Amino acid sequence: MRLIARYARQRATDFEIITVWDQKTEIEQLSLQQPSIKTLSKTHPAALWFERKMHDDFGIIIEDAFDNRPLVQQERFPDKIHPMLKSFQQSELEEAPFKPYKYETIRGDGVFEVSVGPIHAGIIEPGHFHFSQAGEDILHQEVRHFYKYRGIEKMLEGKSLSQAKSIISRISGNESIAYQLAWRDIQLQASGNELAQNSQKYHAMLLEMERIAHHLTDLGFIPNDAGFGAALAFCSKLAEDTRRQLKRLCGHRFGFDAVDFEAHTLDLEGFDSFLDLLEKEIAFFESWILGIPSLLDRFDTTGILKHYQALKYDVVGVMARASGVATDRRDTPFYQEHGFSIETQEGGDVSARFKLRINEVKQSIALIRKLKVSQVDKITLSDTKDGDYCAYAESSIGELFMSIKLKNGLINRFYVRDPSFINWQALHLMMPGNIIADFPLINKSCDLSYAGNDL
Amino acid sequence: MIRFWNKRIKTGILTENTELDQELKAIRKEIKSLINKRFAGSLAIRMVDSGSCNACEAECNALSNPYYNLDRLGIYFVASPRHADVMLLSGVMTFNMTPHVLNAYKQTPEPKWVIALGDCPLAQAPFSPGFAIKAPADQYLPVTHHIPGCPPEPLAIIRGLLDFLKKL
Repeated sequence: MRLIARYARQRATDFEIITVWDQKTEIEQLSLQQPSIKTLSKTHPAALWFERKMHDDFGIIIEDAFDNRPLVQQERFPDKIHPMLKSFQQSELEEAPFKPYKYETIRGDGVFEVSVGPIHAGIIEPGHFHFSQAGEDILHQEVRHFYKYRGIEKMLEGKSLSQAKSIISRISGNESIAYQLAWRDIQLQASGNELAQNSQKYHAMLLEMERIAHHLTDLGFIPNDAGFGAALAFCSKLAEDTRRQLKRLCGHRFGFDAVDFEAHTLDLEGFDSFLDLLEKEIAFFESWILGIPSLLDRFDTTGILKHYQALKYDVVGVMARASGVATDRRDTPFYQEHGFSIETQEGGDVSARFKLRINEVKQSIALIRKLKVSQVDKITLSDTKDGDYCAYAESSIGELFMSIKLKNGLINRFYVRDPSFINWQALHLMMPGNIIADFPLINKSCDLSYAGNDL
Repeated sequence: MIRFWNKRIKTGILTENTELDQELKAIRKEIKSLINKRFAGSLAIRMVDSGSCNACEAECNALSNPYYNLDRLGIYFVASPRHADVMLLSGVMTFNMTPHVLNAYKQTPEPKWVIALGDCPLAQAPFSPGFAIKAPADQYLPVTHHIPGCPPEPLAIIRGLLDFLKKL
């Protein structure tokens, strides 16, 4: 079974620990005094961050855990504070004395450590990477994040679904539409409305545009990280074209607040010629880039995530599909009708993830051609009913899981698991045997979100 | 390779917004003397993300695509705060990131300026204030200029930077 998420929820008399698998959902009740739960991380290593976060958020003790370090709460975070408890209502935190964090390191003759981040040498989000090195070779790497922890789960409590939307669409900028689609599905479940076919198509079309823009950016940056700048110039031009088209479709270059239930008339003039041009350019790009042996020499066999590792670490999205794991939330009758089939690659290396992105761009273009609508109807929503709702979406990174509990029409618990949260935990598996200079290349080939992970 | 050069020649130059070049021409003398005096001929920016949604970063990356090609204005992004004249701050100031942002500011050599990019640093829009956010950023850093937008489009960033230069 594949682990999707594991999170806690505080109720009046107990804690609920919810473990979401691909085939079932398990709920365990714990007492409010002395809550403790057995770790899952021995069979599912990806459970580790979920459990460490649960401890930081609620103070739940994780039994038999081999890693009890704080995850979200960093060196200057005050002691014994668990912000997700309902009793926590502070609006400000005092900086506490610096407590050092014990990094995972390897010791030995000549083995040294390299610390990178949180502020990196480029226009990138903040995060920390800690390497144990034997010369140029990476022995081990630890990913440490949550510098961008904005406390969004707590921030959304007490808001209505419609009030929460503009925040939800800005959790992770390059996955904004996927987040909004998950929000849309929860809104529809809660109000018991059906989506008209044309709005479903319109939203799906926006999602594919977002995927194209994100993949194109990566297709430029991956060769750029191997020192081949021409590819970045080529793809960043196409990515810019896509963002401009997205703005014409929905009024925003990233689609912030674009998913709604209003009527729209779309301006499709020149849209087909944009798709034609993009298709031609991607075909040129593929034959050009994949014909440069010195570049492929950097891509091939670099940063391999083996098939069994991808399964063991419950990896999702591009990383999983490039390692031969066919998992994609778009694998539904709606998408299949429009010609969708899961793209996979076998190698699991940078090259596989690069080729997969090229193929996914091609497929997204084909999907958009079939999904294209010019008119979207308005839906009038009924009042929301209280309850537990959850929804999935396939962002450009991978499977997104969102769960919202509504009480008196307001959000009582908001939980979202970005695909990056699972995938960051598998990044270190790709490092041993590679040189440190290849790390940016490997990291970029996965292109995970820091903002979505940190929340 | 020959195919690439064919493509390159056929595509030609894509850089747009020549009206900015015109505007720049007009204020070039002014900027030149300012840039020469204060920035030794070019303006070096260190972008620091203190808790954004990553759209502001994507738009800053877009500034170097062939359409905008920011480098031609003598403005470019550098890898270290120690090489920078300006710290471009994006995102809400998070509790966890604040010490690192302040450290990066400390490492920037004088004279230095802080520009707030997007609606987050000063107004946290649309986020509500909370325990994990230290807001607004101008309580912790001297913010000289603000480029509004969520996120500001590449052209708005270029205009904002020119406005900043005129302000000095």
